[in-house]
Amino acid sequence: MSDLKKQIIEQLNLQDIKPEDIGDDQPLFVDGLGLDSIDALELIVLLQQHYKIKLSNAEDGPKVFKSVRTIAEYITAHQNQVA
Amino acid sequence: MFIRSTGVISAQHSFGNVPFLENPVEYNTNRLTCIEPDYKDIIDPKMIRRMSRIIRMGVAAAIGCLREGNTDVPDAIVTGTAYGCLQDTDVFLSKMVEQNEELLTPTAFIQSTHNTIGAQIGLMLKSNRYNNAFVHRGFSFESAMLDGMLLLMENAAGNVLVGAIDELTDHSFAILERFGLYKKNPVTNTALYSTNTRGSIAGEGSAFFLLAKEHTAGDYAKLDGMHTFYKPASIVESEEQVKLFLESHSIDINDIDLIITGRNGDTTHDAVYNQLNRGIFNGITTAGYKHLCGEYPTAVSFALWLAANCIKQNVIPSSLHSTSNTGKDIKRVLVYNHYQDIHHSLLLLSAC
Repeated sequence: MSDLKKQIIEQLNLQDIKPEDIGDDQPLFVDGLGLDSIDALELIVLLQQHYKIKLSNAEDGPKVFKSVRTIAEYITAHQNQVA
Repeated sequence: MFIRSTGVISAQHSFGNVPFLENPVEYNTNRLTCIEPDYKDIIDPKMIRRMSRIIRMGVAAAIGCLREGNTDVPDAIVTGTAYGCLQDTDVFLSKMVEQNEELLTPTAFIQSTHNTIGAQIGLMLKSNRYNNAFVHRGFSFESAMLDGMLLLMENAAGNVLVGAIDELTDHSFAILERFGLYKKNPVTNTALYSTNTRGSIAGEGSAFFLLAKEHTAGDYAKLDGMHTFYKPASIVESEEQVKLFLESHSIDINDIDLIITGRNGDTTHDAVYNQLNRGIFNGITTAGYKHLCGEYPTAVSFALWLAANCIKQNVIPSSLHSTSNTGKDIKRVLVYNHYQDIHHSLLLLSAC
């Protein structure tokens, strides 16, 4: 999950934030890390670029991108399918 | 109409509460780069992360201008830019090539449009009022000014935030250098006008002005008028345009206390200014400004800032290298600028 946090920080250019500053279950959007809809698009690109995973159903977005842990679980589940 | 406040980021110390060109920065290069403020004091860090350099420069200059003018939200926001957000365009196009037009990140694309800065200012201010952007090469700033002036004249707004923004990137500098726009070798900017060679020094900048219909104490200057003309056939035609402009304001050239011209050190481009200096401008104090900010399509916005400050502070800074300094009051300033001898403009300001 630490690598994923680094990738998120780099992709979203989260200045002055270190991986350890982001809790595994911390909400990413609105009140949590304060991400918005453009960041959601960046996260979709991140999944495709780094993990070759396409978010097949846009309605899954809020559930998948809820926290770093939920993203990691989605990657784990779908990487097996890619492999 | 009046210039209530300004916010300028340039290759000089021009942003914030700094003395007016008291410590001009000298460069030895053919490319001037803006001196940027600490943006964290001006822009919400959460918003900064997504902004490229030009967006930061534009938004910061706009916010600085509004703060100085004690205005939270202007009635209208009008911006002018020739090149737009080049760095974002660079990123977006480079990734298109590198990634075979797949998996493109949205941020650079979204922010590569020419109206990004005006839109960002509107978003930050939560303003859904009039917001427009003009992209007309060397007339971009003048077009924005004209729109702002018309809004005030037609009582569609009581105040308008008008700004110009253009940046240089490594790519744009390399391309424009190949077109012959810039000197081949580094020059000392203070000696720009005596180089006697082709090309100028590249520049960039962000300048915002709060224009207001009503006069209040503390205003910089009265904006009497603006005129543009395109590709004059000869220097004689340019001279005629100057005369007609002054006549339309019922004044004579001898009523002008300072003329700021857009000399840029390119022997071809400066020919018109040199001839006018020997002719109609003869005997009037003139000064150049592009040695301070470099040449770029919206550089005239820097000249407007200079003119407004000269009037407000009743001074011609020594760094302007004016032809004379008689010590008389600076009550009326004419700015005559052209970009590439294509886009010519005149601005007339007077003391409030």
